[in-house]
Amino acid sequence: MTNSQRDQTLDQPADRPMLSVRDLTVAFPTAKATNEVVHHLSFDLPPGGALGIVGESGSGKSMTSLAIMNLLPPGATRSGSIVFRDTELTALREPAMRTVRGSRIAMIFQDPLSCLNPYYTVGDQIAEAYRAHRHGVSRRQAHRVAIESMERVHIRDAARRVNYYPHQFSGGMRQRVMIAMALSMEPELIIADEPTTALDVTVQAQILGLLTEIRENTGAGLILITHDLAVVSETTDQIIVMRHGDLVESGPVEQIFSEPRADYTRMLLDAVPRIDDAIDDMRTLPSSAAHETPTEGARL
Amino acid sequence: MTDTEPLLVARNLVKEFPVSGTGGLFRRDKTFRAVDDVSLEVGYRETLALVGESGSGKSTVARMLARLINPTSGTVILDGTDVTSLSGAKLHDFRSSVQVVFQDPFSSLNPRHSVEELVTAPLRYQGRQIPGGARAFTRELMERVGLDPTWSGRHPAQFSGGQAQRVGIARALAVQPKLVICDEAVSALDVSVQAQIINLLRSLQREEGFSYVFIAHDLAVVRQIATRVAVMTQGQVVEIGSRDEVFDHPQHEYTRTLLAAIPRINPRWEARRRHLERAKAEAAS
Repeated sequence: MTNSQRDQTLDQPADRPMLSVRDLTVAFPTAKATNEVVHHLSFDLPPGGALGIVGESGSGKSMTSLAIMNLLPPGATRSGSIVFRDTELTALREPAMRTVRGSRIAMIFQDPLSCLNPYYTVGDQIAEAYRAHRHGVSRRQAHRVAIESMERVHIRDAARRVNYYPHQFSGGMRQRVMIAMALSMEPELIIADEPTTALDVTVQAQILGLLTEIRENTGAGLILITHDLAVVSETTDQIIVMRHGDLVESGPVEQIFSEPRADYTRMLLDAVPRIDDAIDDMRTLPSSAAHETPTEGARL
Repeated sequence: MTDTEPLLVARNLVKEFPVSGTGGLFRRDKTFRAVDDVSLEVGYRETLALVGESGSGKSTVARMLARLINPTSGTVILDGTDVTSLSGAKLHDFRSSVQVVFQDPFSSLNPRHSVEELVTAPLRYQGRQIPGGARAFTRELMERVGLDPTWSGRHPAQFSGGQAQRVGIARALAVQPKLVICDEAVSALDVSVQAQIINLLRSLQREEGFSYVFIAHDLAVVRQIATRVAVMTQGQVVEIGSRDEVFDHPQHEYTRTLLAAIPRINPRWEARRRHLERAKAEAAS
């Protein structure tokens, strides 16, 4: 993408959403029936906004992000509309989508180790991803970009550690490398799917702080997908609560946490263990696990 | 501590592992000291939480307490008996006094076995009579952990994560243990299921009177279940005390860092939500 194009997109009126999802449905059709995992989901992300999508396993939150990136697993179908900066993503063919993915929308996953190739240095991997999206960039330039982006995520001694292999980094540092890779492309939108779930709590705090810092410095939008309500409450300004593929409730973060309208949101908030006080009998969802059917349980 | 003897006493536990590949041409493999001189006590009907980040040595301590691995040095005393060097029939007895519930029920339960086989396995393994017969025994245990007893013929894959964890808990209860070690037993569960399992663990303790060693990285969960807390980092216990002491007045720098790093829902939002809910409940009544 050239600079003039980028300026044009920045000139959009501030109230126009950067990402607009309408009626998104993701389904796995089988011979017998169609299993819908996301039903008619609609939401907007304002430019530079931070949106949290929360839900328990099977809520469809990860499928939503994969649908936006057109990275759904084989056999899945999607319908509805996904408009990103005036581009209808669902109408793009794979080559065009590939230029959006990575260079304009970056994605960060839970497990950085499975996203990094153990046989290449992290610097080579950042540089290779960069060159794949920026034609005519020399190896030397890409190497410099790799070091710069590692410095931006506060990896100390980046000029030396750019030559490290993934196994030479701790889990938190690997996640920084993944974020560095995403940042090297200067994306307009970052989608992070459980980026800190596998990390220790002190490292989690650093990574979440880093995502917020990047957002403030670059103006990138953020979609943070997590099961952890406390994490979204500190990091995002809008929240979507999902359950079984449905949008249960959405709104500004303070409203969701102080005046939840849906019973499900209330019960989810009640079930969060408190660090500040002990509760004798934690309230749980009415569908007690005791007698739920296994399929129901798997969705919950 | 209390004036009565504690259920379990661990003294000066040390565990070293050889680190393969750390030696070079001119060096031998180093040993890594995963647990470095840990002493702790667990009282009757008490829940001692071991907290710390990955690599702190908390799981290694738990494994030594259950004698799943032997300590490099140090002793473990259960009910007045030194269990560090037990073998044969006495080790069998010890095995039925201490049970472990692991994080992932699907990898710790044999997928080819039915609930009945899984739950009665510890008894059969120890060559003990199953009181009332396997079927009735299983059904009773399933009811106690909140599972539908008609599912006793089902296999682990037919359960959700929370239900499978209940099977794991039922199996631990089968031998009427004195101590149940929960190694991240609720960490992989969804928040609503996690709350149910925490409630279950607490009510089982009230009914059965056993003690827990509860290993967790999630301090909010620990706050809900522990009576005492030991904070570990780099193989050492840096702070141990009653739950509220540790959470409200942490003494060690590391404990303070750990507590400060935990994401929190804004307490003002939380207070407002509770206030609005109370007002609503009052208006309804």
